[in-house]
Amino acid sequence: MIGATLSRWTMSYFAAALIALIAAEGLIAAGFGFPSAPIEAPDTLVVVHIVAIGWLSLLMCGALFQFVPVLVARPIHDNALPLPTLVCLVGGLAMLLLGFLQLAGRVAHGLPFFPAAVALLVLGFILVAWNLGRTMWAARPLTLAARFVTVGLVAFGATVALGSVFALALDGIATAGPLVDLTTFGIPIHAAAGLGGWLTLTAIGVSYRLLAMFMLAPELDRASSRGVLWLGTAALAVLIVGGIVAICHGGSLPLALSAAGLLAAASLGLYGNDILYLYRARKRRKIELNSRMAGAALISLAVCIALTVMLIALGRLGEHIGAVVFLFSFGWLTGLGLGKLYKIVAFVTWLETYGPVLGKTPTPRVQDLVVEPRAIKWFWLYFAAVYVATAALLAGAPLVVRLAAAAMLIATCGIVAQLVRTRCLLDVTDKLRLPAGVRQPQLLYATPRQT
Amino acid sequence: MTEFVDLDVRPTLRAGGEPFGEILGAVKALKPGQGLRLYTTFEPVPLFHVLGSKGFSHEAREIDGGDWEVLFTPGPGAPAEGGLPTAAATPASDGEWPAPVQEMDNRDLDPPEPMVRILAATETMAKGEVLQALLCREPIFLFPELAKRGHGWRGAFEPDGTTYKVLIRIGAAAGATA
Repeated sequence: MIGATLSRWTMSYFAAALIALIAAEGLIAAGFGFPSAPIEAPDTLVVVHIVAIGWLSLLMCGALFQFVPVLVARPIHDNALPLPTLVCLVGGLAMLLLGFLQLAGRVAHGLPFFPAAVALLVLGFILVAWNLGRTMWAARPLTLAARFVTVGLVAFGATVALGSVFALALDGIATAGPLVDLTTFGIPIHAAAGLGGWLTLTAIGVSYRLLAMFMLAPELDRASSRGVLWLGTAALAVLIVGGIVAICHGGSLPLALSAAGLLAAASLGLYGNDILYLYRARKRRKIELNSRMAGAALISLAVCIALTVMLIALGRLGEHIGAVVFLFSFGWLTGLGLGKLYKIVAFVTWLETYGPVLGKTPTPRVQDLVVEPRAIKWFWLYFAAVYVATAALLAGAPLVVRLAAAAMLIATCGIVAQLVRTRCLLDVTDKLRLPAGVRQPQLLYATPRQT
Repeated sequence: MTEFVDLDVRPTLRAGGEPFGEILGAVKALKPGQGLRLYTTFEPVPLFHVLGSKGFSHEAREIDGGDWEVLFTPGPGAPAEGGLPTAAATPASDGEWPAPVQEMDNRDLDPPEPMVRILAATETMAKGEVLQALLCREPIFLFPELAKRGHGWRGAFEPDGTTYKVLIRIGAAAGATA
């Protein structure tokens, strides 16, 4: 069958991801890891990987299993595979966290947590790449958005590969000189490939399509959008290839990082320009919460770039890299993710629940599943708290960071409560909620119907 | 007289394989005007929708041992270069499908309103009638719903590249064999 159907396990990914986000915010608020501990401390690595793998990567994978078929107009290659994939990724994350806690001496030595983490995370990545790759392979030639996803998956692979080297070196299994050098100096490459390559390039690709769809703007496939892809890909290539060559063969790593940074900045500049064009060319005058929050996230990305440039000019980037990464992760990626989740959960739930009876009986509209004025307060609290936390990080006030993280935690819980209400149809009027032939959706998975 | 290219996917199916890619590859390789003669172990109903939406009509008949032979014949709407374009072909409205009894322009509606209106309209129409709708993008989530309800469809972007025209024939998928 041509067209896209519902992804069965996407809601499970979203649920696992949101639990990870809440856990990470709770840990920061409790004073676990950075900024209460040094940025390179094992405790900080625990928090960072809960955010990067548990929250952002699971969110992205769940969204891609639903939206890659939309981007390429083909069904997903395998709609059952995402569940074992999720088990691998969550299990791998748990092993990785135990490995970090082992480094910190919080968990007894002797158990091979790092090798187990590598095995599970690599397997999880292969399953993601296989499923999405096969789906896109069947739909060649690829649309622009799908090409972003492809490059994002390559960056995901590079991030997992570098992370695996680090984990095996920390465990004492990888002892070859270049691998130890990579572990010592390669962390910026690993972090930038993950946050910049995998998460940001993929989010950019999907955002072109989703923003156009939800704001009734024209689909973009113009020179500047292709420029964003080419410059972003070039930045990644310079970062990964140039960076690794520099480390292993005695080149200048700062030079490779700067060149990649310049290419990435040019790419993001073009992207910002495209997005402004989309917002201006939209036919829908009153934009919904998800598009407004995407706007707030994009502004955070711009602030993040401006902050980076300013810190470089002042020669203080190294000292404040934590604040930059925090704003990038929570203002840009998390802000965009939460905003889009609010729409995706409503849309997918609506389609699953009412799709079979559309036209046959009165059904609610997608907007009837949500109450935006109630939700938006939590979103503004979230963004305000992120900015307070970033400012406090720059000012070196860890206690304020913890208080702001607590506010982020409360806001996230408020948003999650809205998502659960949407999924359970609690905001739909009684008269329209369950017409004949309609079943209440399950919270954590979709039930595709065969008729 | 249409010239047919033969493709036998029975070995693939018997080996437990998935022949869909093979079939689409063969369709992609067809020259203009060529059709496809397909041999399978079952009546490939899902394929009728897929190739139907690309402008192919089909004739299926059961042959020896429960196997099937299906002839896919290109209509005027089939891809001129034999490819599977998403944006190039104009939709077929050959003699086989009657003129639309209802036309709707959904280009300025918020998604998923176009899908809601199309499905509502199909519920009011009689079997064999055709609905034409203009959209501003390919209705990805509509197609599975049309297939479930047994309707046939043909769709493609207009030459302007921004308007997607879809023709929906009520019940066309249910009684679609010759």
